[in-house]
Amino acid sequence: MILPQPLLGELSGLLGMLVLLTALYLQSQTFVDPTIRGVAAQSLFLAFLFVILFLGSGDVNLLYLAAITAGIRGLLIPAVMLYQVRRFKHSLRESGSGQRVPSLVIVGVIVVIGGYALFKTVLLPTLSNPSASVPFVLVLLSLLLMATRRNALTQMTGFLEEENAVLYAGALVAPSIPLLIEFAVVLDILGVILVGVILSATRDVLRLLDEPELEQLTG
Amino acid sequence: MDQSLIFIALLAAPAAGAAISLVPRDGVEVAASLASSAAAVLVSLFLLASGTSGVFGLFYSDGLTRIMAITISSVFFTSVAYSWFYVRRINEPLIRFRWYYSLLDLFAFTMFLAVTVNDLGIVWIAIEATTVTSALLVALERERTSVEAAWRYTLIVSAGLVASLLSVVFVYYSQGTLLISDLMGSSIRAGLLMPVAVGFALVGYGTKAGIAPMHAWLPDAHSEAPSPVSAMFSGILLPTSIYALVRTFNLLQGLASFGAMRNLLIGFGVFTALLAAIIMGHQRNYKRMLAYSSMENMGIILIGFALGGIGIVGAAVQIVAHAFAKSSAFYESGNILVAYESKNMAEVQGVAGRLRYSGYLFALSCLAVTGAPPFGVFVGEFMILTMALSTGNVALVLLLAAVYIYGFIGLNRQSVKMVFGQSSSGQLVDGTTAGPAPRAAPQGEHWVSVAIPLANLAVALVIGVYMSPMLLQAAQGMVP
Repeated sequence: MILPQPLLGELSGLLGMLVLLTALYLQSQTFVDPTIRGVAAQSLFLAFLFVILFLGSGDVNLLYLAAITAGIRGLLIPAVMLYQVRRFKHSLRESGSGQRVPSLVIVGVIVVIGGYALFKTVLLPTLSNPSASVPFVLVLLSLLLMATRRNALTQMTGFLEEENAVLYAGALVAPSIPLLIEFAVVLDILGVILVGVILSATRDVLRLLDEPELEQLTG
Repeated sequence: MDQSLIFIALLAAPAAGAAISLVPRDGVEVAASLASSAAAVLVSLFLLASGTSGVFGLFYSDGLTRIMAITISSVFFTSVAYSWFYVRRINEPLIRFRWYYSLLDLFAFTMFLAVTVNDLGIVWIAIEATTVTSALLVALERERTSVEAAWRYTLIVSAGLVASLLSVVFVYYSQGTLLISDLMGSSIRAGLLMPVAVGFALVGYGTKAGIAPMHAWLPDAHSEAPSPVSAMFSGILLPTSIYALVRTFNLLQGLASFGAMRNLLIGFGVFTALLAAIIMGHQRNYKRMLAYSSMENMGIILIGFALGGIGIVGAAVQIVAHAFAKSSAFYESGNILVAYESKNMAEVQGVAGRLRYSGYLFALSCLAVTGAPPFGVFVGEFMILTMALSTGNVALVLLLAAVYIYGFIGLNRQSVKMVFGQSSSGQLVDGTTAGPAPRAAPQGEHWVSVAIPLANLAVALVIGVYMSPMLLQAAQGMVP
């Protein structure tokens, strides 16, 4: 082991906190570009965290997971999303409920507190790993992001955040679980399809949700 | 014979079809997909007839596996055949047709994998892969609404399925294995984590199965996808997700938390079925109406599995009968869409006068999916109601009866108006004046567009009047 175990624990806790703080940062953004950069940063923090967990356990799967997380969710998908943003001449801004950012941040903080209380009551007695509360809360925050934003790219950042959260939970709770890499790969393929193919299908698809013709999709 | 070869053949057929479909030569994609889906039907028929149960290498088979395999292969085959008639009418498809057929084959492959593999982790991967393979199929027609529906479908379903990944993680953490045979063969370690895992599975797989309130994607995707894809979504994709949920739920057998989780599943099933039955009758878009009918059926099927006993047999019968009847309804809706170029029911009236066979078949399909006797769905619903009665839960019986009646009236009132009614303006869509008799000159219908839904409807009828011993044996084998 290169680093002493207590130091690895400290680093793991620090990176976990950074991951959580980036989640709250994502909640506080009105424009799309910083949200994408935020989720890219979160993925990179998580990749470092997987490396730290690898140094602690020696499980090489965690190293692969770190590479996938940094390469695909930290760099590739955000790059494609930022390219989508640049197709517009002006900054993309949230519309509808997404504009009420201050109140959404407060809701986010309430979700963090409520989520932790729920984790402590339901899961902590059996999981016996308090650090697992971070990915649990992260899942709730990502769902909040997806549910409250109307812009397709911001919803996509919510999806990436949720993927980060679940892989984080998997690596933390059951690092020896088989197929963890495969889980990440399937989710990333889906992410690439979402941003690379569906969002590219029509030029102005990013504004689809405001179009009156979409009233057909009601009821 | 090494029996794992049966399962390998079942997977190899659509995989080969997917690969050959990409050969850039006209007609190859249709021939390859038809051949591969026909081969899948033959293999799954053999699987059903042989009653193969147990663990075979990477695969696991029991009654539920055999029923799912024959259902998936049959609807896959008829959807490929109907696609030959339907998709060539799409002017500017999002992807080339050979990619369409290839993805259709891969879509079937992922569903076969989900229902045959002996590992809950791979089941999750396969279910997630169904989203990967079908997302572009939803957006095939490249309209703004279909692209948006594909987006909503992929995002909502994936977000939900991440919850079921947590379920897989929790099962592994608490039991130390993900092999279905090991989990079912040994006593499950009790604890709070297993019911929590089932709860996450309910949210995750329930999202994909259209269980309310996680169903938001379902009406959009079903209504915007091409009709053969809608048929596969409704007839086999939703039950495949129910399969994954039931596999996880059944792990609780014998644990103290089983009763509470069973009640939770029944609660979600009732809520889903009731919500869909109420909304269904107020739709303006006939494909959305059929989508809500699928939701109603999935709710009822979930109740059947949760109730146990003859309820499980009823749920299995309903899965098969609903798949055939609903795919028939969706193929007919495709015929109507091709003729009327509208999904709005106000603009689609007097179908029987214009598309004689499709009109009548559509009305009959709607009767079949809402549990009209003697179709198979009726038998399934009757068994589930019987099981509910035997539990002595009067509230559940009354709610189920309300679902059956409200759903039946809601859907059939609308379909009868469509098939036999006249447009609100007093004129038919083609401009001729409406009268009391058949109001428009009957339009020629392609024999394929009639024969395929007719065949499926006939199977749904046969299941109702003649319970095949093979099917019954498989369904009864599922009862613990």
